[in-house]
Amino acid sequence: MHFSSTANMLSIFKSIPTHMDYKGQKLAEQIFQGIILISAVIGFIYGLIIQQFGWTVYIVMGGFAVSCVLTLPPWPMYRKSPLPWQPVIPESSGESPQKPQDGSKRKKHK
Amino acid sequence: MNTVLSRANSLFAFSLSVMAALTFGCFVTTAFKDRRVPVDIHVSKVMLKNVDDFTGPRERSDLGFITFDISADLEPIFDWNVKQLFLYLSAEYATKSNSLNQVVLWDKIVLRGENTKLSFRDMKSKYFFFDDGNGLRANKNITLTLSWNVVPNAGILPLVAGSGHVSLPFPETYETTKSY
Repeated sequence: MHFSSTANMLSIFKSIPTHMDYKGQKLAEQIFQGIILISAVIGFIYGLIIQQFGWTVYIVMGGFAVSCVLTLPPWPMYRKSPLPWQPVIPESSGESPQKPQDGSKRKKHK
Repeated sequence: MNTVLSRANSLFAFSLSVMAALTFGCFVTTAFKDRRVPVDIHVSKVMLKNVDDFTGPRERSDLGFITFDISADLEPIFDWNVKQLFLYLSAEYATKSNSLNQVVLWDKIVLRGENTKLSFRDMKSKYFFFDDGNGLRANKNITLTLSWNVVPNAGILPLVAGSGHVSLPFPETYETTKSY
């Protein structure tokens, strides 16, 4: 019972979709770079004014945390333009004997 | 960038690069700063002995005892790239056998945030002022200087000599106390 429940949990965990579409990936990268650069500039100026480099580090770490929250999970805004996949072409019956041949070719390559 | 882990990886790498750049910026803002401050050293008493030096040559060596006052304001040295100062008082003099002798008599660490106004009265030296021969007796010019290492967050480790040193002649005879 226990074992099956953990296996079930794992499969649920793996089935969580974490991908972003291409535009979403670009947007996420731009967002985290922008947040970290801005926090770096703010932290540097603040640290220079109060003469405490530790505060510069804290502010950059804060920017890191904010950008983690904003860009690590696949928020809906990163999944607005999914790729238009071709519709599934129904298999014809003539293809079935070719499949084992493909498998043997792969084995030879490896 | 297509999985959580790959995004976390690029985010972390970018943050580290930015931190490295900021640390370099911190070094650049303080690299050309003058870290000298005036130091007031006053020697009130000097005593000279001639004792067995078991660490050096077999003969008896000169051992000096100095009582001194130090006052300095180290506040201008500290900035956001200084973690601590290592201060040390050294004696410099010339003898017949060596043209330059340097002996550290006393030292102190001043951490960031500690009291930066030094004011010490009637200090005894921490370490023995041994000459490796008999060069201290009747030496006309023994110079005491306070110097410091600046320990930074990032960058070079400057060694600075404080402006303001004191030169004094040592007694002509052993076991006598000379006051200034």
